[in-house]
Amino acid sequence: MVSAMAIAQAVISGLLIGSLYSLISMGLALIWGVMDIVNFAHGDFMMVAGYLTCILFDYAGVDPLLSVPVAFAVTFVLGILTQRFVIDRVLEAPPVSQIFATFALLMIIRNTALLIWGPKPTTITGLWYAELVFRPYGLTLSLIHILIAVICMVTTAILYIFITRTYTGIALRATSQNRLAARLLGIDIRKMYLLAFGIGVGLTGIGGALLASFYYIFPEVGARFCMLSFMIVVLGGFGSLFGALVGGLAIGVLEELSALLVNPALKDAIAFGIFILILLFKPTGLFGGRET
Amino acid sequence: MSEALRKLKMELKGPLSLILLAVTGILITLPLLVRNPFLINTLMLSFLFGFAALAWNLMAGYTGLLSFGHAVFFGIGAYTTMILLLWWRITPWIGMLAAGVTAGLVGFVIGIPFTRLRSHWFALGTLALGEVVQIIFINWRAVGGARGLETPIMPQCLYWLNFVDPTVHYYVIMGLLGVELFILYLIVNGRIGYYLQAIREDETAAMALGINPFKYKLISITISAFLTGIAGGFYTARFGYVDPFSVFGMMYISINISIIGILGGIYSLIGPLIGALVFVPAAEYTRAYIGSHFGARFYGIHLVAFGIILLAVCFIVPDGIMGWVERRGYIRAILGHGEEGVGGGE
Repeated sequence: MVSAMAIAQAVISGLLIGSLYSLISMGLALIWGVMDIVNFAHGDFMMVAGYLTCILFDYAGVDPLLSVPVAFAVTFVLGILTQRFVIDRVLEAPPVSQIFATFALLMIIRNTALLIWGPKPTTITGLWYAELVFRPYGLTLSLIHILIAVICMVTTAILYIFITRTYTGIALRATSQNRLAARLLGIDIRKMYLLAFGIGVGLTGIGGALLASFYYIFPEVGARFCMLSFMIVVLGGFGSLFGALVGGLAIGVLEELSALLVNPALKDAIAFGIFILILLFKPTGLFGGRET
Repeated sequence: MSEALRKLKMELKGPLSLILLAVTGILITLPLLVRNPFLINTLMLSFLFGFAALAWNLMAGYTGLLSFGHAVFFGIGAYTTMILLLWWRITPWIGMLAAGVTAGLVGFVIGIPFTRLRSHWFALGTLALGEVVQIIFINWRAVGGARGLETPIMPQCLYWLNFVDPTVHYYVIMGLLGVELFILYLIVNGRIGYYLQAIREDETAAMALGINPFKYKLISITISAFLTGIAGGFYTARFGYVDPFSVFGMMYISINISIIGILGGIYSLIGPLIGALVFVPAAEYTRAYIGSHFGARFYGIHLVAFGIILLAVCFIVPDGIMGWVERRGYIRAILGHGEEGVGGGE
């Protein structure tokens, strides 16, 4: 029999890991919403940031949580370069070319990582707070997961302020809502694309740095997170940042609960199964959004 | 159908029959002339992937349903043949047909809800479906779980289709490929083919013309799944071993098949086969070369290169090798007219 305590524990763990899912998914949702591009290489930018964090820790002793801004900056620049030299060329192309262009990116990034770092997982060891655990009311909460959730929430808040309170952020949202109208109002949509891709990929970069602090990093680590973020974005409603936020938390909780109640090995299958059902029966997602 | 047959007869009167005869002749005599099992094996693999990519392309190229989950049909086909062989000692010849039927049924059932999805959504849905089915098979103890299944020890003979040397399998898959090409030719040049292309170009317009997109998409998915299942059955017959990570592998099956299709040209009938004949040997030979000259540490170089090539294809020739050949007018020059089906999707 599963106790109420175990369920509470699963919900809290789910929310903590879900905040990381949310962060990555918001990046994907931003790109998807503004540019109408599904970035299949999304998880691989995360992997690059993860390796960067490991390297910074190994060679310079930088705390993984402190390398978050560096990871953001590096992936932001990578994102801008990608947008400028790859995505920009297929923006007007049929969906098939767009999908395969980002897929080609995936192959290039992932296998370059394989060449450089090999297939063996690497991880950060010897972090002084890695083992610290709180036990309030019989629950078990590890400090590192709480810190990660806090950083995710702070990043989300900053993103929220940026897109609602600054001129550039509002222009970004305008481009997402109606490209033509945005252009007519004098918004340079090329710049907005650069910004959207940079920020979108940068958010995954933050996710990658956070992931490296408690998980293994290997060339294919992004694959699972990429699939999860596709799901979350569709679940939350296409291109909706708020939807991605809630969707990420929901999927985190769902996964932990199904691991507890059904079978840990099947947790991804259950999540993907629900994704398919939502795709089929509620393609606009749980929070509206627009349909294509 | 009869219209398509008449068209085929017309085309065979031209230089096409000579080209076909020459190509088939070379391919049949090749194993007799060249004693190189690696080459034959590579060609056999190219045919196998070409077979699956042709099936994939009926959906992706002709119907506009971009599937990233063809490993589902491939894997189900492979498992069907394996289970029939392992549990009931049924020859892979019947097993392959059963594989096609099972995969076709699965395709039909999956197709009923999935035909509602369009472009990106179909791609994402099939991608997720592939993952779900793979995880299920990894955890399904009765069919071997993550360890997979192995064929029993069998005599090396034609009945069990069990040979170490790739030559027999090479001929078998070549024969299957010929039959598949013939079937696809009839479909694509018949009424169904034109309906499918109309749906791809503009579903609403097709509906306005009285075409039921649901019905024809379902037909396309079922046929495509049937053929992919046969490819999976052949995989079992050749390798004698199936496990969820290879036959349900997203990268190894689903993605490879679609890259082959894109490379060869998805708006052309034989495009995916050409893609396979370029992609698979290039992959196999570079892999072998890197493995023997630099060591396994450098596996992945060829995949980076394929990434770059794929990117270049997306930028420069989005309609693939065959699309490019067609646009340059080479096919027209050789055959005296354009190949039907090429150059669509403008």
